[in-house]
Amino acid sequence: MIEWISKQVVLYWDIFKYLLPAVPYTILITVCSFVLALILGLIVGVLRISRVRSVAYLAGLYINVIRGIPLLVQIFFIYFGLGGILNLDRFFAGVIAVGICYSAYLAEIFRSGIEAISVGQHEAAQSLGMTRFQTLRHVILPQSMRIVLPPIANEFIASLKDSSLVSIIGMRELTRAGREYYSQYFVDFQTWFMVGLIYLIMTITLSKVVKYLEKVYSVKGFGSQKT
Amino acid sequence: MIIEIKNAVCRFDDIVAVDNVSLDIKKGEVVVIIGPSGSGKSTLLRGLNALQSFQSGSIAVDGIKVDKNSKNIHDLRLEVGMVFQQFNLFPHLSVINNIVLAQKVVRRRSSDESEKKAWQLLEMVGLTDKAEAYPAQLSGGQKQRVAIARALAMDPKIMLFDEVTSALDPEMIGEVLEVMKELASKGMTMLVVSHEIGFAREVADRVVFMDNGKIIETGTPSEVIDSPKEKRTQDFLSKVL
Repeated sequence: MIEWISKQVVLYWDIFKYLLPAVPYTILITVCSFVLALILGLIVGVLRISRVRSVAYLAGLYINVIRGIPLLVQIFFIYFGLGGILNLDRFFAGVIAVGICYSAYLAEIFRSGIEAISVGQHEAAQSLGMTRFQTLRHVILPQSMRIVLPPIANEFIASLKDSSLVSIIGMRELTRAGREYYSQYFVDFQTWFMVGLIYLIMTITLSKVVKYLEKVYSVKGFGSQKT
Repeated sequence: MIIEIKNAVCRFDDIVAVDNVSLDIKKGEVVVIIGPSGSGKSTLLRGLNALQSFQSGSIAVDGIKVDKNSKNIHDLRLEVGMVFQQFNLFPHLSVINNIVLAQKVVRRRSSDESEKKAWQLLEMVGLTDKAEAYPAQLSGGQKQRVAIARALAMDPKIMLFDEVTSALDPEMIGEVLEVMKELASKGMTMLVVSHEIGFAREVADRVVFMDNGKIIETGTPSEVIDSPKEKRTQDFLSKVL
């Protein structure tokens, strides 16, 4: 019994050591694609509520098309479809695919965050002579950001998990490393248990960080009263 | 005339909110508009800085035609300060930054200059001790005094007050009216939509009574409030006095 346990511990430790070098790639793909998603998402979210009808329509179309196609299919399309033409490597194809996919979800979150701010805030800013852009930048978005931080953090955690899909095009990140270990040593239970555990440790750590950020960015009494 | 309103009409679907209104206001004049809810007073006021667009007629402020889609709308809004019933302070900024923001962004003043101006105005409204507080930590009366200071920071030529005491607890109305009285005594051109008949009597150069989108009667406070000629004015005043 003791022998079995010590063998298992050694095996898990062995798997862990094998997987660990792949973790930075998972983090890198997630961070890069999420930065892309934030930039695109903010732009599309703002365009979605443009007063120019056609612009708002196009932004809405982008959101619906992207959200309506599985991420896996988008990864295939960008890596094999576009990648062939544009000569994209695995990493960039993966980052672009995940980034674009998440930009559609983030756009909707940004839009709802902007629309959650009362008309009175727009009117007050405009009555002081601010342009639409100045109003958005100095008055609306700083308030929206506090509202959208929790849902955006959720999307970040989700994108960390979805980065595992990039393994399908041969990008060596955590999930890919798990497959490699399994195909060498054929220990399925322990390998996938350890892969899952490492993802879990990362996602739980992230949610703690988010809780902390929410505290840091809160303003005394903000949101609890009319202003 | 610093404000010239000619035959202004504003419709919402089939409701006529402002019905062919003409009104001229001289520089330094304090005009108080009274009337029942839904009489179009606020709509008229909001038309003066194009927060509300009108279907026909013309409105000019300090010689600039008010048009929501024109390029100089931001210049116009600089000349017209506005204070709202619901305060509309920026909740994510401290009191001092509420007053500083537009000075920097719109007037392009330096931080030092904007802050100096903000402190002067806080002094005037008696809230220097609240400079670093956030709006949610203030009482209604304090919020409204900050809102007045914020509007004044842009050095407007005209101040619009849209039922600024209607959302306040009774004991806080006085402190806000005090600030408005001081402003009037300094010669500010003011257009005030209010239910405070006492304030109108004391401060207004002219009182305008509106009902159903029309100006029914206009004159000095003693003419309109104490001896109204029109039946509708008499009915309204008998209810509120």
